[in-house]
Amino acid sequence: MFTLARTAASPGAGQFLGVDWGSFVVVFLVALVATTVIVVFYSIGLRLLAVGSPADGSDERGRRDAPPLSSASVARPRPAVATVGAVLCFAVGVAAVLYGLWLIVPQFH
Amino acid sequence: MDMLLTVIVVIVVALIFDFTNGFHDTANAMATSVATGALRPRVAVLISAVLNLVGAFLSTEVAQTISSGIINEGSSGVDITPTMIFAGLVGAVLWNLATWYLGLPSSSTHALLGGLIGAAIIGSGFDAVNFSAVLTKVVVPAFLSPVVAGAVALVATVCAYRITQNARTRGAEAGFRHGQTISASLVSLAHGTNDAQKTMGVITLTLIAAGYQGADTPPQFWVIASCGLAIALGTYLGGWRIMRTVGKRITDVKAPQGFAAETSSAATILVSSHLGFALSTTQVTSGAVVGSGLGKKLASVHWGVVGRIATAWVVTLPAAALVGGLAAWAASTSIVGLIAVAVVATACGAGLFVLARRHPVTRENVNEEPATDQDDDRRIVSTTVASKEG
Repeated sequence: MFTLARTAASPGAGQFLGVDWGSFVVVFLVALVATTVIVVFYSIGLRLLAVGSPADGSDERGRRDAPPLSSASVARPRPAVATVGAVLCFAVGVAAVLYGLWLIVPQFH
Repeated sequence: MDMLLTVIVVIVVALIFDFTNGFHDTANAMATSVATGALRPRVAVLISAVLNLVGAFLSTEVAQTISSGIINEGSSGVDITPTMIFAGLVGAVLWNLATWYLGLPSSSTHALLGGLIGAAIIGSGFDAVNFSAVLTKVVVPAFLSPVVAGAVALVATVCAYRITQNARTRGAEAGFRHGQTISASLVSLAHGTNDAQKTMGVITLTLIAAGYQGADTPPQFWVIASCGLAIALGTYLGGWRIMRTVGKRITDVKAPQGFAAETSSAATILVSSHLGFALSTTQVTSGAVVGSGLGKKLASVHWGVVGRIATAWVVTLPAAALVGGLAAWAASTSIVGLIAVAVVATACGAGLFVLARRHPVTRENVNEEPATDQDDDRRIVSTTVASKEG
């Protein structure tokens, strides 16, 4: 991480085609890490919200002509831990959005 | 009198460029949201229009030079006259309309730079252009932007599908759609803060060059307001043709892919503009869509469409330069020449609108089946025939 910061702080190093490849690599890595963290937490949040729902997903699109309910189709209450976890996961996304807004709006900095 | 007339014409064309910019580039921010049904088409363009307008008012610090170093401006280089700016804008507007007609996302910024380059070459020869800056600021970022965004979106898509059991988790589809709406809105806002401000810069620098405004003064309120409104109106009317390409034809985007693609675009654009390595919005969003197609098992990326988009990116700068050069050559002769260029350009633009009405793409049919490559080819052949007739 420190190497990355130093590379970003010293433009001019490692130029080829007049492009500052050091800061390019930093941009790539930061974008990759940021996106992956947001998407992973958001997806885990969605997964946690679905804990306890029927394993075969039968109530997502309930059809009248569906076969009689099996045990996999029975919904169970979601444990509180899962709810709390989901909220925490979504909080990561909310924080990222707020930080994004802070970056976009020039008046903030 | 001539100067006043020239300045008025430049301002009008600049606002038209701003309009086409909104029209052309909404597609990038909102296409996947429309394609996955996260937002109804009308709501999507309305949100994007409002955010572009807000963005225009948020960021009003305009650049000191029009070409950001690509043309050797100043005492040792060429003076960019209002006529050259006019010619550059004409090149950019016509290129934007042509790519809109073909449904290809391409960078409005590159079109504007291309137009200016053409005008500068006609005005004062090849020495006027700083070709190493063209390479550094246009060509290389054009290759890197889609690669970076595509790689990031690929990883994000794989994660999204893995974690949600191929999106079979209950509520996953809807959840991804909500997330996607938010990240697409961020992309729109970022676009507004970047792009409306470019037109403000063009108008303000023209006013300064013509002596109607003091040097180093900020844009006037009417300039900010009209630029914001022009880009918002363009956005609201919506480039449905391009939206269909980005949302349906590159690959048929599903909710998890849309979320991954928009989040990657938002992150890449914000990170790149704040770590000083600017990447193009258009190219980032298109690249992210390709990446999201590669990241989903069994999803097909239509490489024919991708190839056509890539070709458009390569051609953008020279094509706009050619039109800009021709326009500069005609417009610099006299005020009559300038008006003639304006008339011919209006006729060309109107012609493209008329042609587009033969295969209209509207908010009603924007999501209809992804057409096959053959359809596209036929459309392009018919265009070529039509342009030969015209």
